[in-house]
Amino acid sequence: MAEIAFRNVTKRYGRTLAVDDASFTVADNEFFCFFGPPLSGKSTILRLILGLEKPDVGEVLIDGRVVNAVSPAARNIAMVFQNLALFPHMTAAGNIRFPLVERGVPELQIRARMADAAEKLHITHILHKFPGQLSGGERQRVAIARALVRDPAAYLMDDPISALDARLREETRVELKRIQREAGRTLIYVTHDQEEAMSVADRMAILEHGAIRQIGTPSQIYDHPATAYVARFLGSPMMNILTATRQGYSVSAAGAAIQLAAPDLTGIASLGLRPEDLRVSPWAGGTGSPATVIEVEPLGGHTVVTLEAGGTRLRAMLRGQPDIRVSAQVALTCDPARVHYFGDSGETLRPSHQGGSE
Amino acid sequence: MSAIRLENLVKRFGAFTALKTMDLAVDDGEFMALLGPSGCGKSTTMNMIAGMERPSEGRILFGDRDMAGVAMGQRGVGFVFQNYAIFTHMSVRQNLSYGLRMGGRPKAEVAQRTGAIADLLQLGDLLDRPAAGLSVNILQRVAIGRSAVMEPAIFLLDEPLSNVDAAFRAVMRTELKQLQRQFRQTMVYVTHDQLEAMTMADRIAVMDHGVLQQVGRPLEIYNDPANLFVARFIGSPGMNLLAGLPLETAAGPVVDLGAIGHSPVLAPAQAAAARRARGAVVYGFRPEQVATVPPGHGMAMPVSFVERIGARTILHLGHGAQGAKAVFENDVGLSPGSMAHLAPIPAAIRLFDAETGVALRGT
Amino acid sequence: MSPAAKPGPDESARLGLRLTLPAQVLVLFISVFPLLMQLYISLTDWSPLSGLAWPRAWEMWNTFANYTDLLSDNRLWSALGRTLLVMAICVPVEFLLGLGLAILFADNFPGKRLLYSILIMPMMVVPAVAGYMFYMLFQSGGPVNDLLSAISGMPVTVAWLSDPTLALAAVMVADIWQWTPLMFLILLAGLVGVPQDQVKAATLLGANAWQRFVTIVLPRMRAIIIIALAIRVIECFKIFDTLFIMTGGGPGVATETISVYIYKITTQDLIWGYVAAIALAILIVLSVACVWAMKRMAK
Repeated sequence: MAEIAFRNVTKRYGRTLAVDDASFTVADNEFFCFFGPPLSGKSTILRLILGLEKPDVGEVLIDGRVVNAVSPAARNIAMVFQNLALFPHMTAAGNIRFPLVERGVPELQIRARMADAAEKLHITHILHKFPGQLSGGERQRVAIARALVRDPAAYLMDDPISALDARLREETRVELKRIQREAGRTLIYVTHDQEEAMSVADRMAILEHGAIRQIGTPSQIYDHPATAYVARFLGSPMMNILTATRQGYSVSAAGAAIQLAAPDLTGIASLGLRPEDLRVSPWAGGTGSPATVIEVEPLGGHTVVTLEAGGTRLRAMLRGQPDIRVSAQVALTCDPARVHYFGDSGETLRPSHQGGSE
Repeated sequence: MSAIRLENLVKRFGAFTALKTMDLAVDDGEFMALLGPSGCGKSTTMNMIAGMERPSEGRILFGDRDMAGVAMGQRGVGFVFQNYAIFTHMSVRQNLSYGLRMGGRPKAEVAQRTGAIADLLQLGDLLDRPAAGLSVNILQRVAIGRSAVMEPAIFLLDEPLSNVDAAFRAVMRTELKQLQRQFRQTMVYVTHDQLEAMTMADRIAVMDHGVLQQVGRPLEIYNDPANLFVARFIGSPGMNLLAGLPLETAAGPVVDLGAIGHSPVLAPAQAAAARRARGAVVYGFRPEQVATVPPGHGMAMPVSFVERIGARTILHLGHGAQGAKAVFENDVGLSPGSMAHLAPIPAAIRLFDAETGVALRGT
Repeated sequence: MSPAAKPGPDESARLGLRLTLPAQVLVLFISVFPLLMQLYISLTDWSPLSGLAWPRAWEMWNTFANYTDLLSDNRLWSALGRTLLVMAICVPVEFLLGLGLAILFADNFPGKRLLYSILIMPMMVVPAVAGYMFYMLFQSGGPVNDLLSAISGMPVTVAWLSDPTLALAAVMVADIWQWTPLMFLILLAGLVGVPQDQVKAATLLGANAWQRFVTIVLPRMRAIIIIALAIRVIECFKIFDTLFIMTGGGPGVATETISVYIYKITTQDLIWGYVAAIALAILIVLSVACVWAMKRMAK
């Protein structure tokens, strides 16, 4: 059982601000993801939760208790490190039972918990092997099992599957989600892969330079990003962000190639179009913005098309395998309801008469 | 002069055969991806093309020239290592100009060519910085520039984007593709990421456990996989593969999928393929090529998990070996526990022989 | 100790200080105290023959007279010159031989392990024993001359250890034989640490073996090379045991290095005040040289 919270936590290393006034609450039994580019403070936050670092300002709370002064061992949180840190001189079984042996858990219980964890992670058949004899994916699962047997208050995982093959990553993240549900424990997860984050998280926090930009469910953040930075971060290919100016009743972007009916907002500095919201059809001189096809990337299930309109490059994601050739002239359209508008400092603009959601 | 031909190539390390009889032709100026999971032999193949390993059997030809006995420094290939192997005790400029300097080129030429490649790769401001301590993204470009400045006819890249963070990877993919287009070099690119291969390559060679599985254009491989391995490996998620038996019913030819029920009636091409089966078959369809249908039609499968990833929703259906996935553009309103009724697009069905794994074709 | 609170930085430092106190006292006794004692005595004319106990050496105070004396001591300077000559020849030869062997050992060849054990052996021989060994080898009727006779076809009966120049040469041969293995070991470790990927990359870019060696291998071995040279230079400067057993510093003073000279005036002439001055002067000069070399390496 663990609800983990930060209240205005700041952490500096020398002159570098690693964590900037971070506040959040991770509910009990939640799969919570911290997502951001390298050096945005994700690993520091994990270390603060674990107790390997103390905040300069603010409080770390576990189940409502302030734990700033509590040692890592006493916090009862299990961590899976990015480099796994498996003991090479012990078998997989030896590695997994190690934390329990350390804590003096009775042998029968050790066996039971180990068997349970091994079954959940499908590694029962390799328990007798040494880490050097295991594949990357198997080593990953042994590391996770080692955290699992401890039955801690919460789990922390620092980018545990980034080293795996693409295919294995897709499978393992579903496994992790399933295991977390079954284990019924809070899991705090760090990654820089946006698809992974959106797939596994119940809720997630987007970090930029140590500050939390937005917290919400993946859907909330994807559909209603708080800033252009957040909007660009989720979604692949990235959202197209274009400088835009209001001209009377319309908004103009991409060197006037793109014209949209002006929404009920003020202070528009840029607009965002998600590649999957763009529609492309052969240019017939009618509706839509004129564009030229620069690049076609056929991915089988969908096709990513790079276009140039009014001197600006955009990417569109089209379903299936449409017949589009490089240097074709096309018409670009978009549902006005799916356009995002941003202000001067990148914050998302919302209509003032609505309750803050589109 | 820069076409590559691999003939009957075999590589053994002691008792272990890393590569089993590979035949492959890379056309002049083509971007060929060697795609496969770890240990499939793709890096071994590339090392042999570069001359770092010697084939146990078979031969490698550049154009018409047999490369047996040609030392690795003499082959005129550019090579980008997975960890870049940048000379960290030199500056960026010294790295870029290394090959030219070792080749004894005149100073003016070295300076001019180094400058040109630096501008092309946007390294102009960093030329005199020590290479050590620079970010991975920059080192990537230095590694490419160092080989590119030699203007090799053949360029080999060994998983060069695996150390780069996800956001930058997309940018680098475009840059690499444009570089190859511009210089028309023959490029061989090793990767385990099918997305990279599909995005960048003119043709893809899919490998597994030292055996070449299929060679073809990205969409060819996607639409007509030669066997179960390729069907599963290409596409994200891979093709759904359900075990079944061909059956003639009153409604027409179908595949009996056991607990899931009967498949929808097969289209003529697929029906012809089914007739060629000698026993059990594998019924394959891509997760993106299904539609929801009213209950009573199509296949009924329980939803076990829902992944909502931005623009797509991935439904996990069924369990274990008879599990499947379906990808939709938006939320279909199904949650775990409910029943999904789906029918794959008839033309998109692919059948495979259950025993050999090979694709069954109507003709 | 409460397990709940982590000690702050100040507490840790103080604890560290307290725990290392015994070691600090020991170091004080072993190095600092003798140094001060030496400094004290070097400013006097004291000798054990003077009849005074050393704390009362101040009664023979001569304030820096020892230091000015040593500047005009010809025998001292010849000894120093000879030492530097031995260093200037032995260390480079040991380095080049050691480097050559290390390069040889970088690849595998049949019998590698056996050759490795044989090469290491000279280092394990007690220096004094090595001295006797070479003393016997370089006798006029000894194995070295026999070997040279066999090679040249003419009878060779050179009296190595009785000839001033040849004795120095013999001493250098002994030093090279003994210490090349050390160079070899250190340089091999450095060689193995060169990233192979970079060497491969250089090869693929068209660099030949020599170019790779000069542009990639040597630069990456820089730190190890400096350490190896520093170790040998310092040790060679102090060359004593093997040499003394072989020649005793002779014939005459032909092989008298600085250590031999100090040994002789300490044990034979017993002018310990003067000896202390020499020792201290050398210490200061060497320290300054070391710091200067370190600064250059750090750049």
